[in-house]
Amino acid sequence: MGKTILTAKHITKLFPGMKALDDVDFDLQEGEVHILVGENGAGKSTLSKIILGAYKAEEGEITLDGEPIVIQGTKDALERGIAAVYQENSLVPYLDASQNIFLNREPRTKLGFLDLKKMKHDAEELLKTLNCEYIDVTKPVSSLSVAEQQMVEIAKALSFNPRIIVFDEPTSSLSEREVDSLFKQIHRLKAEGLGIIYVSHRMQEFPLIGDRITVLRDGKKIATVGINDCTNNELVKMMVGRDVSQVYVRNQTDFNEEALKVEHLCDFDGRVNDISFNVRKGEIVGLAGLVGAGRTETAELIYGIRPIKSGDVTVFGKKADLKNATNAVALGIGLISEDRKTQGLALSESIAQNTVAVSLNKIFPNFFINMNKIREIAKDYTNKLRIMTTSVDKKTRFLSGGNQQKVVLAKWLSYDPDILIFDEPTRGIDVGAKMEIYNLMDRMASEGKAIIMISSELPEVIGMSDRIYIMQEGSIVGEVHRGDDNFNQEKIGELMMLGTGGANE
Amino acid sequence: MKNLWQSIKESRAFYSLIGLVVLVIASSIIAPSFRTVNNMITIFRQASLLLILSSGLTAVLLTGTMDLSVGATAGFVGCVVAQLIKHDMNVAVATLIGLLIGVVIGLINGTLAGILPGFIATYGTNWVIAGLGIVVMQGAVIYDLPPAFTQLGVGYLGAIPNLVIFASVVVLILYILLSNTTLGRKIYQYGSNPVAAKYAAMPTRRVVLSAFVICSVCAAFAGMLMTARLNAADAAMGDTYGLQTVAAAVIGGTSQKGGEGGVLGTIAGALILTIVVNIMNLTGIPSQAQGLVIGSVIIIMVLIDTITRKRQESKMN
Repeated sequence: MGKTILTAKHITKLFPGMKALDDVDFDLQEGEVHILVGENGAGKSTLSKIILGAYKAEEGEITLDGEPIVIQGTKDALERGIAAVYQENSLVPYLDASQNIFLNREPRTKLGFLDLKKMKHDAEELLKTLNCEYIDVTKPVSSLSVAEQQMVEIAKALSFNPRIIVFDEPTSSLSEREVDSLFKQIHRLKAEGLGIIYVSHRMQEFPLIGDRITVLRDGKKIATVGINDCTNNELVKMMVGRDVSQVYVRNQTDFNEEALKVEHLCDFDGRVNDISFNVRKGEIVGLAGLVGAGRTETAELIYGIRPIKSGDVTVFGKKADLKNATNAVALGIGLISEDRKTQGLALSESIAQNTVAVSLNKIFPNFFINMNKIREIAKDYTNKLRIMTTSVDKKTRFLSGGNQQKVVLAKWLSYDPDILIFDEPTRGIDVGAKMEIYNLMDRMASEGKAIIMISSELPEVIGMSDRIYIMQEGSIVGEVHRGDDNFNQEKIGELMMLGTGGANE
Repeated sequence: MKNLWQSIKESRAFYSLIGLVVLVIASSIIAPSFRTVNNMITIFRQASLLLILSSGLTAVLLTGTMDLSVGATAGFVGCVVAQLIKHDMNVAVATLIGLLIGVVIGLINGTLAGILPGFIATYGTNWVIAGLGIVVMQGAVIYDLPPAFTQLGVGYLGAIPNLVIFASVVVLILYILLSNTTLGRKIYQYGSNPVAAKYAAMPTRRVVLSAFVICSVCAAFAGMLMTARLNAADAAMGDTYGLQTVAAAVIGGTSQKGGEGGVLGTIAGALILTIVVNIMNLTGIPSQAQGLVIGSVIIIMVLIDTITRKRQESKMN
């Protein structure tokens, strides 16, 4: 570890009605990956935005190479060598990689036209340093995969010759393989002496990549620890401020009646290929697999939102005719979809309005509604699910990720389906909210609901499921039961990567 | 009371309501004749058709699409009903047929808007419907309709013009429909996020169709009142209303992106437009110059709304 590049001392940032950061100290050294963790709203993003010049702190001092500086804005930060790779892509989808990398500072020829040749060449050089020369810099970035887009983002950040790069939740939409290659790049940057600030929720990643961890909670710094100086449990405890004896809760009961049976299911795009499985009442069944294995597509077929090419879905012994989601919901099937912002919530609508989105006709069969009744129902669920808000009339746009996810849950709980599919239910939300969702799933199962859980986080699927089907490239390649020898990360991971038998490498 | 104030302040109608209050005060100072009861009644009467049209359009805007054909629909239905009545059809039956034509046009617009952008689809149907109007009229103008029909447009109930009563009833129905029914909720939810609406198992196509039917039926009703008021029908009579209707709803704060806004703001928007015209007439500004003022008002109101809203949201984030 080298010398200190950046320090931030006594940083305080006020937002209307709250202290987002309260006297926080932070420092970054050359060749270090410094992880920032904390629950949503803890102040991680605020702190990184202050370092990136997007926010101005009310109090505190920042030094770069020992010199006190005042960062005047994101452009100033970039000129000082502080760049960012954001969680949600900041690329312009219709422009190609080279145009994105040099957006707003395109090289010009002597005549003042864009020097497209130089742009293309420089962009290719940058991607080459990332071992991504296979990315076509002349294709619109919207045609690249999420991981490739992220590499373009990193290339863009590198084009500023930065000394510090802030990564904000970079792995939240990457598959495991893609995460590996991202980490390789981060290790390389680190070896070149860059300082890296890494904002993340995913604790299993920390040992792979981090040197030090700073934990924030409610805008205050709790501690900065070396990566090997604390256990996961201690970290969680620091983050949530209470003792966490066990993350996953599963009170298994007996399963008897079959709730859902799927036979030889295929879709029209070849994403789902001859899938058969079943779920019983009281059971949590996990669908494990890499991104693109067809898990979400399977869920969408069962939910009637993706057309079924062939195969049967049987719900409580009756063949289901699934033409649209309305059919599925009428049969008692619910889907908590993968992407809460585009599929799960109406962001300009209030918590209360979202809570009754599915159950509207059930609550008000006579056409006329009563807003006060809607508010009461919503209040009930905000209490039960501990949704943090001043009012149920608050627009969901203004909630944190964890609270938004809880509103999506409330939407389904108020409808009370018998079969509920959770697709990536804990993506991008903090540990405290995750545990509440695990608890809820367990409770629902013990009340006799049939639950399907899709998740890219293996520990979570293993922690919660009674049975796991492993999917690879649209097919089921294995089934494991809780308690069996092969109910572990190694075996399931192997099946996810390699398919049946693990031999066809 | 505090709650009501709070919800008004947060609603999208806030700036248009403030604009309306400012406009009324300013107008009273500029033109003393503005304050008279007679002039107030005149304003409401002049605003009534616009209120009916723009309240109906609000339903479509809330779903996040657009109906540019309301002016043509109003004109066309006015012409058809005038023809029917001229051919000795019973007034009640003719009126009913007029409303049914509204339903059909709404279904066509709604179906097309499910495939094409509503903007384009209804820009097209606007021309088609206007053309049909000319066909129905065979290029002529109809006048001298029976009093049983014209009374709808020129009659009074006590001191209040029938038009104002019709407009109030329509506005009230639409307010209740959009704020207090499951259909209204679905229109808002769909407009706020069509994908989430689909994932919430909403019959999305039916919701969009309903919004277009509501809009076109309002247009049809307004068209018949227009004919009754003028005691004449002319294929081009709805033309001036087309863009004014959009302007009233937009000034009223209903988002063109859908999901936000409502009838309350549209009422304010329609009244603002009408008062601006009224005050120009009272102060003798030539009608040729009025477009300039109306256009400026639209831009200023929408600018204020957009800028303040952006600031509010960046504060909350």
